[in-house]
This record gives sequence, structure tokens and C-alpha cells, in this order.
Amino acid sequence: MSTIHRGLTVTVTIDEDKLSNVNALLFQFRNDLKTNRDQFEKSLPGTFFISWLTLPSQIYNETERLPARIILMTSYVGDKQEHLNELVDFLAPQLNQVFGESHEFPDNYKGKADMLNFLNKKSVANTFYSGFKFLTTSDVAKEKELKSAVWEHAQQLNATNDASQLSPSYIKRQIEDFVANNPALNWAVEEIPFARQNKIQMLLPLVLLGLVMATSIICIVLCFFIDALFVKIMAWVFPLFVIIMGGLLLLLRQNEKNPHMASEELSDEEIRKIVALETHPVLNEMTVIAPLKKGWVRRAFLFVSLKLVNFLTYFTYIPTVHTARWLQLDKGKRLVFIANFDNLSEAYAHDFVDSEKRTKNMAVIFSHAFGFPATRWLIHKQYNHRSKYMKGVRAHQKITQFWYCQNQYESVENLKRNRAFREGLFKEMDDEAIKKWLLTI
Amino acid sequence: MELEKEDIQGLMVRGHGNLTSARFLLYNCTDPKGSCDFLKEITPLITHAEEKPEEEAIHIAFTYEGLAFLNLPAPVLNSFCREFKEGMSAEQRNSVLGDIGDNDPENWTWGNDSIHFLLMVYAKDQAQLDKSMLRIKEQTDRCGIKLIHTLPTGLLQHQKEHFGFRDDISRPVIRELLKEAPPETATTFPAGEFIMGYKNLYDEYAPAPFVPQELDKKEFLPYHPDYPERKDLGKNGSYLIFRQMHQNVHAFWKYMKEQTDEKAAAIKLASKMVGRWPDGSPLSLCPMQPDSALSESNDFGFWDDDQAGLKCPMGAHIRRTNPRDHLVTEKSKIDSTEMAAKHQMLRKGRPYGPPITPALDPNDIMDASEDEQERGLHFICMVTDIRRQFEFVQNNWVSFHKFGGLENDADPIIGNHYNNGKFNTDEFSVPNYPIRKKYKNLPNFTLIKGGAYFFFPGIKALQYIASHD
Repeated sequence: MSTIHRGLTVTVTIDEDKLSNVNALLFQFRNDLKTNRDQFEKSLPGTFFISWLTLPSQIYNETERLPARIILMTSYVGDKQEHLNELVDFLAPQLNQVFGESHEFPDNYKGKADMLNFLNKKSVANTFYSGFKFLTTSDVAKEKELKSAVWEHAQQLNATNDASQLSPSYIKRQIEDFVANNPALNWAVEEIPFARQNKIQMLLPLVLLGLVMATSIICIVLCFFIDALFVKIMAWVFPLFVIIMGGLLLLLRQNEKNPHMASEELSDEEIRKIVALETHPVLNEMTVIAPLKKGWVRRAFLFVSLKLVNFLTYFTYIPTVHTARWLQLDKGKRLVFIANFDNLSEAYAHDFVDSEKRTKNMAVIFSHAFGFPATRWLIHKQYNHRSKYMKGVRAHQKITQFWYCQNQYESVENLKRNRAFREGLFKEMDDEAIKKWLLTI
Repeated sequence: MELEKEDIQGLMVRGHGNLTSARFLLYNCTDPKGSCDFLKEITPLITHAEEKPEEEAIHIAFTYEGLAFLNLPAPVLNSFCREFKEGMSAEQRNSVLGDIGDNDPENWTWGNDSIHFLLMVYAKDQAQLDKSMLRIKEQTDRCGIKLIHTLPTGLLQHQKEHFGFRDDISRPVIRELLKEAPPETATTFPAGEFIMGYKNLYDEYAPAPFVPQELDKKEFLPYHPDYPERKDLGKNGSYLIFRQMHQNVHAFWKYMKEQTDEKAAAIKLASKMVGRWPDGSPLSLCPMQPDSALSESNDFGFWDDDQAGLKCPMGAHIRRTNPRDHLVTEKSKIDSTEMAAKHQMLRKGRPYGPPITPALDPNDIMDASEDEQERGLHFICMVTDIRRQFEFVQNNWVSFHKFGGLENDADPIIGNHYNNGKFNTDEFSVPNYPIRKKYKNLPNFTLIKGGAYFFFPGIKALQYIASHD
């Protein structure tokens, strides 16, 4: 068991002439959501976000037409099969209607088992980032209420004469007593479930990768002393990894010398259609799908990069982002990026291009996509990096016909602060730490 | 690169503080040819940046609608940025700017109607201003140009604004204007952040309007440095953002008095909201009481000793409009500074309306009775990128009620405060020991009465606009 936040991506191809039908259906679902949001929240308790859209065909390498697609992207907490069950139990008719337009949907569809089988079969791997690791959907509301109730209660401390003279430990004790003795809040006395398991599960792949590499390095030394097959094989792992990455980088450098080709700019009208859907006061969504620049090395490099980023997601930090994911489709020739973030897309995109450091991080992935800025040695910018990045994003931004977000009210910083408050409850701290903790309230 | 001052309108480099009388005039053209004749007449009178006017200064700026009315060719019109083309009062801009509810353009007195251009007339005194106005009236009447709105201004004592706080202390310094190289620690900005045709902080030329070379038959314009087939219409120009902001002085101090039990506490709360004491001294440097020696101080940050906002709250006006070296979403002082630097504006605004008391001392303002006088600030700023600079600050830092990890707090001074049952933006939280204080139900202390996006051209660009075929 865990409360790790993960991403599910399901995609199928569709005939281009059916796109308008599916778009109409998805927009209809979007409208329905306005009136039955409560039902969504009740029936999808493990689901944070759903983005469901169609993708028109795109051209790769000037000649190859990549197929039109339907893409369903959800984010959920816990077990994938449970999440699929939850989706199918609540959304089976809609899933059937939309995916039924694809020739990849089973002709002999009979019910839940077929739908589960279909979703499993059509789900693809993605690199997923969450800005609020290990929170469940119910935690979001509960932790907000907890902090709010404690703040209300603590106003009497502010009203006390010489409140500034009260010791931090006394104040913390008062708060903890209030929480422990309040039946509506005393769930917070318990430790946060799965805290340790979550960390172990997320870090395990990275630890294993590190161990393999470390073992390989040790085996290189041991080769001089021990003549064993295992040692010899292991001794090759790390050098091979370095050689492959180095080779890919050299080939990439050659590819980077291809003349930069700009994407066709999106018209003002198209941009207006996209931003017209960004109406939420706190969170919004962005989907960017672009064919890659030509050359197999782009596909290979992006594939390896996404795998490596997957190992590091525990340590990754992207400001203002609730969730983000990257994946490759159509034999690696398409990059899909989706983000759920605080505020509007203009502000969100600036979080990347305004920072030299983050621009480099983003270049590891986006520099492979057609229309995005040219780079040198993967991360070093060439001229007009910023304006071309912004144009690249807009040129490939897609309209997400259906979008659901479970949490409508809390920003990422709110979620993190609420969790920091809960984590500090009933935890041993010195006075300085308590003072900092009190500022989370 | 050296600034071409003779081609830059003077307001870019000076605020004309010595020209104490000023009026902003909003016009509509009725005939493109007559309007172009007027522009040809007025162009030699436009004050450029090499001049230091003692008597009078005149500046001109155009809306997109105005440029379209003057029949600029379609490729030229299309080359302006989308925000400028849509205009400040367009529906698409409302949610970005927070212009909803009380601030909805429907409630504005201007800016929701047709405006073609803005004349800014500064004079050494009222007599000179009247003289200039008479001359301009004669010229505009003759050319069939209609005056739609006249916006008076009035400088206040001690560089204060109407709430009684010292204003206009923090200003970005344009590197190219300094006679000597600034010290490494000094915060300066490349001209391209504010004036088109120069490199900006990204080491790029900001996107600027252009003219296909074949359409500049009279060779008014220089070539664009990035695109040899284009003539640079933006060179030495800028986008000018104009927002008339009514200040509800009585409501402001009434709220402070209601939340506190004495005048000193009311002033302290107001100062927490502003981030400076009324004399201008910053809370970050003197959190307990004002220090007049620091009233012009601009050399401070938040990262080193006020990350939590115990001195200057996270939501304070000056911290939101310029977070300096601390953004909650950044992991280091360097990153925060880098991010904040990329959203600066060159402010050139002026107050309007009579002061509620002559000296604008908050102690007196609190005693003053409510009057019906219209007063506020003509917020004016220049940027080369409307979206990255003005709209980003207005949207992400001023209006977004989640700024800096806050919960329901729009900017306490200029934010749009509302509570619609689902979302509320009308709180102000003050970090405090033992527990944070929250001030609720903030009314709107400022209201937008009008506004527009203008193109503020260089002199050569103005000649092109006046004489294009």
C-alpha cells in the first residue's frame, strides 16, 4: 500500500474525420461536469486530475503523418488497478462513447471486464511529477480544515496579554491538546499513513540504479584480481552506460547543427480559444504535444532522458506545478507534455523561461521537440531562446476538451504548508523549530 | 549600445518633476488624412530624451484602434503584440488583470470606449499649461480631432500619494543612462527591458512591431537587427500602460481605524499593508517605527532576514509588486532575484485630485471628514513586453490570491477584493508570534476608472506613422 501520486495515460488512434464527434462529446462531458461535480468527487475518491482530449494528426520530419489520437490522462493516488476500477465504475458510458469511436476499441465490448482490459492494454508509460507527494484527495480537505480550526482556536492566544511572552512549547502543547480533544480533528493525532513506505517505494529504483552502477565500478577494480564471469559482465555496465550516453551526446551535437526550423505560429484567434478555457481562479491546465525534430538520435536521447528523470522525481521541484508528465508516442516521434498548475499558463510558462537554470533543465526534454529553441550540447541556449520557447509552447498547445480537477481551491504552496503543519503536530521540536512551525498556521 | 536619445520620447528618461502642471488628453480622429496632418505638425514639438524642458513637454502615444484608424498597413498592425491589439478592456484581458466585479471595464469612465491617441502635456505652471492647451486645441480642431476625455493631474507634497505614503521610491535604473559603469552590486537594467531596439535581460531584442522594408518608402525607419527584411517600427519606442486608479482614502483609513484601537496602531497596520511607513522608510529595515533617515532607502531585500514576513508581510504591496530577492516558490536568493528582475516596469505616473489634507499626514487624514472629491493615481508605466512585465505582475503577484503561499489575499492596496462564497481575495494576513493575524473583509481601497494600452513610438516611428502611404 502507498499514497504515491501517479499518472495514467491511455491513448488510441482515431480516424481524423471522427475527431469532431469526439470533441463534441468531450465538450459535452465538460459541461455536464459543471452540474454534477459533487458526483465526480464522490465517485472518484482516488483521482486528482483528468485531462481528456483529442489530438489531430501532426507531421514528423516534414513528410510523415502521425495519426490523430484520443488521449486520456489521469492522476491518482495508490494502486493502478483500483484507479482503473474507479474510472470504469463511474465513467464507463463516457469511456465507451469516446473510445468506441476508435477502431482500436474492441468490437465485442461487453462490459466492465472488457473496458478494464482495454484501458490496461492501451495505457502507456509516462514520466510523472507531483508537486504534493503522498497526499490523498481526502487529505486535501481534511488538512485545510485542521489548520483552519487550529487558527480559529489559537486566536485566543493572540488575545492573551503578553502573548509574545508565551513559550513556543506551551503554545504547541495548547494546540496539540485542542486537536487531541476535538473529535472532529483527533484523526491528526495518528502518524501520517504510509509515510515511510512511500519514501522507500519512490526511492527504491534510484537506489537500485545507484547500487548497480556502484557494483559495476567495484567490479572494474575487482577484474584485476578475480577472474569470474559475473564480475566481468558487471564491470562492463558502468562503462557501457557512459559510452552510450557519451555517444548519444556526440550524435545529438551533430543533429543540433541542423538549421533551426520554426513552428508555424498559432493565430491570435487560436490562442484566444485556448486561454478562454483557463477560467479557474486557482488552478489551470496545459497540454503541449509536438512532433520531435528529425533524427533517430532525438527520439533515443529523449527516451533515455525521460527514463532517467523518472528515477529522480522524488527530488525534482517545479514551482507552482501540481502535476506534470512527459511521454513519447508513435514510436517516440511525438512528445506529450501536460501540466496542472497554479494560476494562468502565461504566468506558469514564465516560471521556466525566466530562470536560466530551469531553462537548462527544460531543454533536456523540450529541445528535442519541433519548433522549440535550438541548443548546443543539449542545455546551452542559442540566440532568441526565450521568445522561441514561448512560441514553441503556444504553437503546440492543444485544447483539452475535458478537464477535471478534484482540488479547486488550494495552491501547491497551500497544500505543502497544510501538510507541514500536520507533520509538525505531536512531533518533538526545539523552540526555534516550533516558531517556524507556528508560521505554517 | 548607446541610446539614441534624440529619437526617444523624453518621458522614458525623466518624469518632468519640474513641470508641475500636467494634463493627459484622450482623442479620437475623425479623418485619417487630417489626423496625419496633425501628427506632422506635432512631431517637431514632441519632447525627446536629449532635451531637458523647463517650460513645456509634450508626448504622444497611440492605441491599436488609433493606428488602425490611421490606415497603417495590415502587416504592420499585425506585428504588434496580441495584448496591445486586444486592448486593456477586452474580455480576454479582464481575468488576467483582475478587472472583474467593481473593476469591470463596464464601470470605467473611459477606456471602454473608442480612443485613438493620448497626448501628455506637461508645463512649468498652470498659465503655461493653459497656453499649451489653447494651441493644441486650435491644432486638433483644425484637423478634425475630437477631445474625448481630459485627465487632470496634480503633484502632491513630499512625493506622497493620496493615502499619505511616500511614493515612487523604487525605480529601475537603465544601465545605458549611467555616465559611469555601475558597481557590480548595483541593480540596473538593460535598456531593452523598457525601450525597444535594445538588448533585454535575456540578451535578446524584445519582440517589436515592424514594417516590411518595401512599405517604408520614405526610409524613416532603421532595419531590424534580427530580421534584415524588416524595418524596426518599435526602435526607441515602448508600450505605455495607463490605468486611472481611484483611491478611496476615507474607506482606507476607516478600515484601519476599525481594526485597531489607536491611531498609531492604525498607521502601523496600513504600513504593514504597504510595506513602508508613511515617510517611506521600509519595514524590512525598521519594522518597529519609521526612520526618516531611511525614507528613500531602496537597498534592502527579504531573503536574508525576513523570509517569513515577520517584518514586512508576504502580502504587503511593495513585496508583491517587487519581491526583490525572495519568492516563496524559488529555492535560492539568486533564483528569486533573477525571477523578480524579469518583471520590472518603468513607472511615470502622477496623482490627480486634491489631497484630503495639505500635508497628507495620516494622523490628520484619519480626522478629515469624508468628501466627494475624485482623487487617485494615473498609473503609467513603460515596458517592452506587456505580458511578461505589466500583466505578469498584475496577474501573478498583485491579483493572484495565492501569491507566496497566501490563501485569500489579493494585494491589500491595489488588489481587487471580493468574496463570492467559493473564492475570496479580501484578506490580509500578517505573520505574527504566536499566531498569524488575519484581517478580513477588506473593501476595495482602489478602483480602476479607466485604462488603455498605448504604443509610445520613437520620433522616427512617429514620422513614419504620420507620413506612411
